[in-house]
Amino acid sequence: MESGYTERNVKALSLPNRTARNIRKTVSVLFLSILAWVIAPNSPAQENSVRFIDANGETIAETPAQRQGEQLYLSVDAVRQVFDPAMTDQYNHPRKRLILKTKDQQIRLQIGHPIVGIDPSGLTHTLPSPPIIIAQQPMLPIAFFTRILPDFYNLEALYNPSLQRVQLRPKGTWTFFARAGDSVNWAIIIDPGHGGADDRGCESSTGLLEKDIVLALAKRLQRISEEQGIKVYLTRQTDTKKTHFERIQVAKRNQGQLFLSLHCNASFSPHEKGIKIYLNNPKGQLRFPSNVQSAPTGQRLKILAQANFLKQSQDFAHALQTELNFLTETPVEMTELPLIALSEAYMPAVVLELGYLSNVEDLEKLSDSKYIANVAQAIVRAFQRHISSINPPVQSTALEQEQ
Amino acid sequence: MSDNQETVKHNSSAGFSRLIVIWGTTLILIAFGLGVTLYLIERSKQSAVPTAPPPLPIAANPSDIPPPPQEVNLFLLDTTALTLVPVKTERRLHAELTKRLSQIITALIQETPPNFRNTIPRGTVLNEAYIDSQQTAYLDFSNHLTDGHIGGTTAELLTITAILKTVFDAFPEEIKQVQILIDGEEVRTLAGHLNLLQPLHLFQ
Ligand SMILES: [Zn+2]
Repeated sequence: MESGYTERNVKALSLPNRTARNIRKTVSVLFLSILAWVIAPNSPAQENSVRFIDANGETIAETPAQRQGEQLYLSVDAVRQVFDPAMTDQYNHPRKRLILKTKDQQIRLQIGHPIVGIDPSGLTHTLPSPPIIIAQQPMLPIAFFTRILPDFYNLEALYNPSLQRVQLRPKGTWTFFARAGDSVNWAIIIDPGHGGADDRGCESSTGLLEKDIVLALAKRLQRISEEQGIKVYLTRQTDTKKTHFERIQVAKRNQGQLFLSLHCNASFSPHEKGIKIYLNNPKGQLRFPSNVQSAPTGQRLKILAQANFLKQSQDFAHALQTELNFLTETPVEMTELPLIALSEAYMPAVVLELGYLSNVEDLEKLSDSKYIANVAQAIVRAFQRHISSINPPVQSTALEQEQ
Repeated sequence: MSDNQETVKHNSSAGFSRLIVIWGTTLILIAFGLGVTLYLIERSKQSAVPTAPPPLPIAANPSDIPPPPQEVNLFLLDTTALTLVPVKTERRLHAELTKRLSQIITALIQETPPNFRNTIPRGTVLNEAYIDSQQTAYLDFSNHLTDGHIGGTTAELLTITAILKTVFDAFPEEIKQVQILIDGEEVRTLAGHLNLLQPLHLFQ
């Protein structure tokens, strides 16, 4: 009896309810369609685009890209946008052949075939994946833009797949010293921070230690730099305690022209992340009293001597920043502070904090040998960039000799 | 039964008039007592009798009076904005400068409200605070400030900056720079990055 009553009630209510529900459904479908229509044309380009940057990190072009499995494909138009606005293309639909004419040369491509032919030289290259058709348009794999095209324009390319970023710069920028053997007089001091049982630096929740990460990177940097013809000395070779004074002695003994102190960062907030560069400046964000005269004579001389190297340190820091920005989503920050590790370094000197051991994402990166290898390559490119910007290389000053 | 009722009636009317007399007398007595009390209070107010118990704290020893609570800004890390922000707290601050400085730094060490992180390592104690004639504040901390520090340039900078900001906010005129000491000694650094050999101030 009671259930019958309830059922009747439901039936009585159900008719207007159903109408209301239908109206709601129609409205939401309509709203979602409008939303999809607004978003749809933009989303592929936003999600998948490749940014081409120049040697200074400035954007040349941001081109839409299509992802097919692991591969990224760009349109023929991207060649015009990035390399040559005068490039022309012909696509033969039935034969699936694409010809690009640029710089009095023809590049022959075939959909579904990885071989690229160049006329009139007759040279051929093999792509890791062939050109394909997407939405009836011929699309070119990213490797075509990073491995084949730069050669035509006397450029070198560097590709960061995780950030979908390609850096293009004049050929020889990164291989200059290895070819010319011109850096024999350059000595770079790499200082792996902390060390020994007492000074472990910061530590991750997983037990990863700053002193170990920086030592491993320092050794890798030494190897890669020397392959490029740059002499590198380390302030410690093993897990041993070294005072700041002992570290600087290594720099002086080897007549170092650049001092790079490697560290890992930590913060009280687990959200803080990223690479940071620090320069020694007693008049930085934190500062010593403005009256240098009031400082003891020895201290006063040191402060003045350090100031002489600040500009050169900033130049090197900019080189590092440009190279490391290639690896990071957000630009690398630079801060000037009174730093103890560099307080006695009478040469251009920088502290590089590789990432936060207190942040999960940074910790993951710092635990990844591939990422560390990329960081090392970027640092060596910064060395090369800095050295080539100074011509002839700066000799150690009289003041340094006195120390 | 009816007799009994009569007696009760009679008895009740006699009791009623007696009750009025008692109540009336009581009220008169209360009114009189109240009048006398009010008169005495008024008299005691007019004649400032020195032997009377001190009605106001002014008459007591100044060092025994708790000062009124004052607002103090303690700089703590906002974990979402990743910056040091002033967090207001109320403290009964001492009138004397160095004691006030000690109180504020101790408050900074102890304060841990939700959504904020204290940048002073746990267990740290302020041994002593001192201000010299050059307006340099010397803050002598226990070794926990260095030994218990998590390391990293950012964390070290946050620790030092939180101390400096808290000091300069509370003493904008009285203190110009701060020298950090550990167990009475000057230190080169807290965690191996910042140079603490000289007194520090902040670039505004
Ligand atoms: Zn460190």
